[in-house]
Amino acid sequence: MLDKLFESLYLKVFVNIVIKEKSILVYIEIHSKKGVIDNVQSEFETLEVTEKMIDFIQGYIKESPYFYISILDNSLEQGALPTCKKNDFALYYDISSCEYKCYEKRWTYYTSKAELYTLEKKFSELGVDFIFSPFLIVENFFQDKIKGSLALYALVEENFISLAIFEESKLLYAEHIDIHTKDEDDELFLVANTNDEEDLHLDEQKDGIDLEDIDIDEDDELEDFADIEDLDSIEEIEEFEESKDIEEELLESDTVFDEPDEENFNEDYQRFIAIQSSINRFYKDERYESRFIENIYIADSVSVSSDFKKYLEEEMFFNVYIRHVEIEAELCELAKEELGL
Amino acid sequence: MKYSYIKPRKKTPFTPDVMLIVIFFSITIIMLLSTYFFLLFKDYSFEKERTKLLGERVVLEKNIAKMDKQISFIKEQKVLAQRVFTQNMVLKDSITNLFDLVPERITLSRAELLKNGLILYGVTPSKDVYNFMLQAPLRSIFQKSYTSFYPAGNGWLNFVSTNYIDNDESEELDSED
Repeated sequence: MLDKLFESLYLKVFVNIVIKEKSILVYIEIHSKKGVIDNVQSEFETLEVTEKMIDFIQGYIKESPYFYISILDNSLEQGALPTCKKNDFALYYDISSCEYKCYEKRWTYYTSKAELYTLEKKFSELGVDFIFSPFLIVENFFQDKIKGSLALYALVEENFISLAIFEESKLLYAEHIDIHTKDEDDELFLVANTNDEEDLHLDEQKDGIDLEDIDIDEDDELEDFADIEDLDSIEEIEEFEESKDIEEELLESDTVFDEPDEENFNEDYQRFIAIQSSINRFYKDERYESRFIENIYIADSVSVSSDFKKYLEEEMFFNVYIRHVEIEAELCELAKEELGL
Repeated sequence: MKYSYIKPRKKTPFTPDVMLIVIFFSITIIMLLSTYFFLLFKDYSFEKERTKLLGERVVLEKNIAKMDKQISFIKEQKVLAQRVFTQNMVLKDSITNLFDLVPERITLSRAELLKNGLILYGVTPSKDVYNFMLQAPLRSIFQKSYTSFYPAGNGWLNFVSTNYIDNDESEELDSED
């Protein structure tokens, strides 16, 4: 009772920390009872917690005892499972060394306990109040779409892609991919399913990518899809195009694209490969209900190039909708939801 | 802990600095209040004692008045007693004088002391003995003296002597006392 009274008297400060590839982004939002009073963000070109960062954050958290520091979980060993039953977890993943939480009794997200501990230790000088899974951002960001028919939803960060397949709010498949380290696994996966020639092509990709390689590679990959679903059904895509909503999404996504440069192009290609191999796993793994994916919604935090969209559309015959996402703001929304604001 | 993997730290506005200030002020307020209540209590007890003492004073004043009355009564009694004592002394002296007055040859059988007179009964061997020996001193004391004789069996005479002091003189004597 007294706590609530004090809480209502003070401002609330939400500190949201997103660890990127080479920097740490700190986004701070100050709330009063009426709403957002101020927000500020700063990016620190380091992966360590520096004095400068601590000073910056403490400058704001000194204003109120009610401050909440949220961090987006960036551990490699994390993911989501399409069940909330403890007995069924083992079917998908051994989560004995993981911390997990069930989302609205529909699906479960997990992360490695050791990495949580490392993250907490890293920010021990500031302290951490919330650690959120990127899958929560996917679910929150695409809340309006997830209730609909089967589609793939992906949150694209600089290093990672958090990918989830939902059908009418039901999670079918989810994967958290590190686009830089996952390559080798993908290759292994592809080796197991393709012939030696493809393997050679992929090896070349590691050193540098050119469009010729991509074309050859993706043509072969598409054969895999043909085995699973009848691609003739692509005609149905026309139906989607009639929808206004989709047109809007396409327009939005066009504006987001940056001019492609060598580095972006490379990264986007890696992302494409990661998504492609992940979808392959979904189709091939018997544990998951294999259903043909037509739509892919991408929450883009890094401004992917138009080529990325083109690959997905042309090579995998997806309807691609890209929405720009401010991860730090979404993180802040999660923190607010957590507190019931 | 709806979505987050970890629990948020407990948030409280009572930082160590705030706690120090709060403790300082609360101790000060407690001390002030306790002093206030102590004074209130003391005031109350003094007031109670005052009423009690006032009551006692009234009782004592009453007692003093009573005692004053007793003292004045005792003083009056003392005065009275002294007067009675003095009168008795006077009376005793006068009786002693009276008996000294009576010669040996005359025997008194009865004497009546009146307020302003004296009546004597007795026997005398003769009228002359009486007239010389008793009549003379009695006359010097009393203004009026009457004596009557009647014979006794053995030849002696019984006598009754009635003596009075004049009223005016006796009053004067009284006023002198």
